[in-house]
Amino acid sequence: MSNKKNKSNYNPALRSLVTGFFGGLFWSSISYFGHLFHFTSVSPSTFILRLWYDYAWIEKWKGEILSILIISLLSSLVGLFYFFLLKKFIGVLVPLVFGCILWAVIFSSFSYLFPTLIHWSSLSSDTIVSTICLFLLYGLFIGYSINYDYAIHQEQSN
Amino acid sequence: MKSKLNKENIHKNINRNETFINQKLGLDVSFDVGFRKQIIRDKEIQLYYVTGLTDTAYIIEIIKALNLINEEENQERDLYDLVYNQLVHQQVEVIHTMDEVVDQLLSGLVILFVDGSDTAFCIDVRQYPGRAPQEPDTEKVIRGSRDGYTENIIENTALTRRRIRDERLRNELIQVGERSKTDICISYLEDIADPVLIEKVKKELDEISIDGLSMADKTIEEYIVKQGMNPYPLVRYTERPDVAAAHLFEGHVLIMVDTSPSMIILPTTFFHHVQHAEEYREAPSVGTFVRWIRFLGIIASIFLLPFWLVLVQEPELLPSNLKFIGPNEVGNIPIIVQILLADIGIEFLRMAAIHTPTPLSTAMGLIAAILIGEIAIEVGLFSSEVILYVAVSAIGTFATPSYELSVANKMIRILLILVTFFFGLEGFLIGSTLFIILISGLKSLDTPYLWPWIPFNANALTQILLRISVPLSKTRPSIVKPKNNRRQSE
Repeated sequence: MSNKKNKSNYNPALRSLVTGFFGGLFWSSISYFGHLFHFTSVSPSTFILRLWYDYAWIEKWKGEILSILIISLLSSLVGLFYFFLLKKFIGVLVPLVFGCILWAVIFSSFSYLFPTLIHWSSLSSDTIVSTICLFLLYGLFIGYSINYDYAIHQEQSN
Repeated sequence: MKSKLNKENIHKNINRNETFINQKLGLDVSFDVGFRKQIIRDKEIQLYYVTGLTDTAYIIEIIKALNLINEEENQERDLYDLVYNQLVHQQVEVIHTMDEVVDQLLSGLVILFVDGSDTAFCIDVRQYPGRAPQEPDTEKVIRGSRDGYTENIIENTALTRRRIRDERLRNELIQVGERSKTDICISYLEDIADPVLIEKVKKELDEISIDGLSMADKTIEEYIVKQGMNPYPLVRYTERPDVAAAHLFEGHVLIMVDTSPSMIILPTTFFHHVQHAEEYREAPSVGTFVRWIRFLGIIASIFLLPFWLVLVQEPELLPSNLKFIGPNEVGNIPIIVQILLADIGIEFLRMAAIHTPTPLSTAMGLIAAILIGEIAIEVGLFSSEVILYVAVSAIGTFATPSYELSVANKMIRILLILVTFFFGLEGFLIGSTLFIILISGLKSLDTPYLWPWIPFNANALTQILLRISVPLSKTRPSIVKPKNNRRQSE
């Protein structure tokens, strides 16, 4: 009798947006923390506000927080993208590979599009390692959440 | 358990039963199996019991009542029926095979044979040695119930039943162990708990074929979840009936093993190990505050020391307003050795404290604090900053509600310290990332270990980050796959 009531009433695509948003929020905040301790020379604002603007306040925490919010919004689109393309692969491996590829795309192609950005080959090894780690965890977070939600959703609708 | 079951039936001739039991149990060798013959109306009846497991007063009462049969005037009636009628006890069962006789006898029931009958009576007069319910040492609360589970499975089911009078609470009994024949009880709410999980647990338990479960719950845990080399606890234990009842209401499955006061709660995630009953005994805001402090402690117990070591090794990483961090003078011993020595020292203390009787442990604490802490700095062995950070992360370890989790965290901390020492910042980063990836890949009975963080579930994570007041938490956690996920009507 309770089975009907229990049918998942959520939309997994919508949920992937939420997951993406929080993934962006959490991991870009961590990257800001890492930036404070000079683990990485790039910070959330490097990819957002500083691409176009060059005001002093952007370097301060206000600019970073604004950038973190913008990244979170963009990240919900990443979540949606992941949902439509890769949701069927269960487990943690595909999400990790996804994180790696995302890192490669952002760090290699962005510097062609935006001349203000330094090419990844001239970043310090600390920065490269910490950003790769961050993207791995970000990929894991987004990907594993979305494919797990999807698997549960499938199980419940059957 | 399923090996050569002796299906021999109870014999009509009482002497053949006697020889059988004599051979099986070695009545003349073992002193704890008692035996009493009575003649009633010229027929023999025999009474068998295990001395330590039965209540003498009840047995005397039963024998008294049986002797009254001799004064019965109606000599026509069958003795067997008369005996059945005269057994002054509410739990009398009729059994047919010798195998049942032996099993029941050894679990503490009194067996009664009547000459000329091929069935026997077993009477439940069990009285197991044990203690009264006490507040468990590991899960103390300031207010709230002080009872805790004991070593007696019957008392334990009663403690749960006191809190859940629902007719849908199921306590299924299974016996495991060829020799120990340990009782294991699987408890769940039938209309809520996930039937797939229950099936799975039962199947695992059925497949166990072992002599005995002397480490009771721990042995069962090792059969149910495949631990491997992973130090992280994959099931949660509790000794508090209120915690157990709360989890049953949420749709979890509980496994009780006789002779152990620790109940196994399934399924479990990492975040089950960082909660404590105390948080639910206080105002939601206070509970949330306590929980955040606890989280800080747990995070510090893993990451604080390696993080500090990174900053000591590479002081140029420090933000300008934190430049004071790091030892002021170069000590006589490398920092890494100091950290490891101090950490191992605390581990010594912890181990010693377990074995030391309470009157001596005060003295031990004094020696530890003054001799090791104070003097080690004066002699120049340790720098005071090392002591500070090692102490903070040790306190973080003690603030972890689950003992199993705190030990696992400690091991990871030492590994992270070592990779940080060898590979610097990059070692720390890669080590931490690998750690998170590995434990998020763990599964305990198909439950992702870091749920609801990775995989992310906003509702459930809110329940963990904030202690939500009970009237507001209307649904059961989805991770237990409840058949009915509302715990309050709308």
